Amino acid sequence: MPDNAKFFHLAYGVALTIYTVYALSLYLRGRRLRPPAR
Amino acid sequence: MKISWLSATAAAAVASTVIRVLAFTPIEAVQGPAQKIYYIHVPAAWVAFLAFFLVALASAVYLWLRDIRLDRFAESSAEVGVVFTTVVLTTGPLWGKPIWGTYWTWDARLTSTLFLWFIYVGYIVLRGAVDDPSLRARYSAVLGILGAFLIPFIHMSVYMFRTLHPMPILGQPAALARDSNPALPSEMRNTMLLALLSFTLLYVAFLRARYKLATARGIAEAEARHA
Repeated sequence: MPDNAKFFHLAYGVALTIYTVYALSLYLRGRRLRPPAR
Repeated sequence: MKISWLSATAAAAVASTVIRVLAFTPIEAVQGPAQKIYYIHVPAAWVAFLAFFLVALASAVYLWLRDIRLDRFAESSAEVGVVFTTVVLTTGPLWGKPIWGTYWTWDARLTSTLFLWFIYVGYIVLRGAVDDPSLRARYSAVLGILGAFLIPFIHMSVYMFRTLHPMPILGQPAALARDSNPALPSEMRNTMLLALLSFTLLYVAFLRARYKLATARGIAEAEARHA
């Protein structure tokens, strides 16, 4: 089933995107609560 | 931008898992490359169960001790658990389409996992709807405990019902493992163990970052009330 490789790539793409977006959201929400040091 | 050693280690572990899956793990003979979705789907499900079990545990202890740190821990673990359940519910259908011929079927495991996701999304919405911190902690603790009752049901659903979802190859109940299913080849088993470790580490890193956020928010909320 060689064409099912696209589902493998899609699944990894989707999962890693979800994790990355969540990591970014944690970073941005954290930064909003801590004003930058002067 | 400061990145903690834990986050860096978790990111490196996840990257090494993906490299191992891509380049150093054999392709399964029947299912082809789509079988490798297993290495991202199963660890996400394991972490989601762990996260929601810890929500229930922290919530139960919160109701007993009323320590706000336990409420913050539960809040953090629930949010991270929802992220991992989202991964479960997206990678599963992407495996189902090439293997089953359909993205979704209303079988016991799939449906109950979707319900678990709804319960903890509801948990997050509930927290946003209650302003009083002690009421919020109490209401959400009850929901956090009740939601986790679905976990053993979901785990056992493939044995209790006729489902399309495959049974586990690692970690079967002893009675089944004795006389059925050949063991996973060692390359595949080691990749799975690395994946379980990496995504558990990612959970801990997310949880730590989210807990810090909950603490900072709690302090800001208290200051706003006293201002």
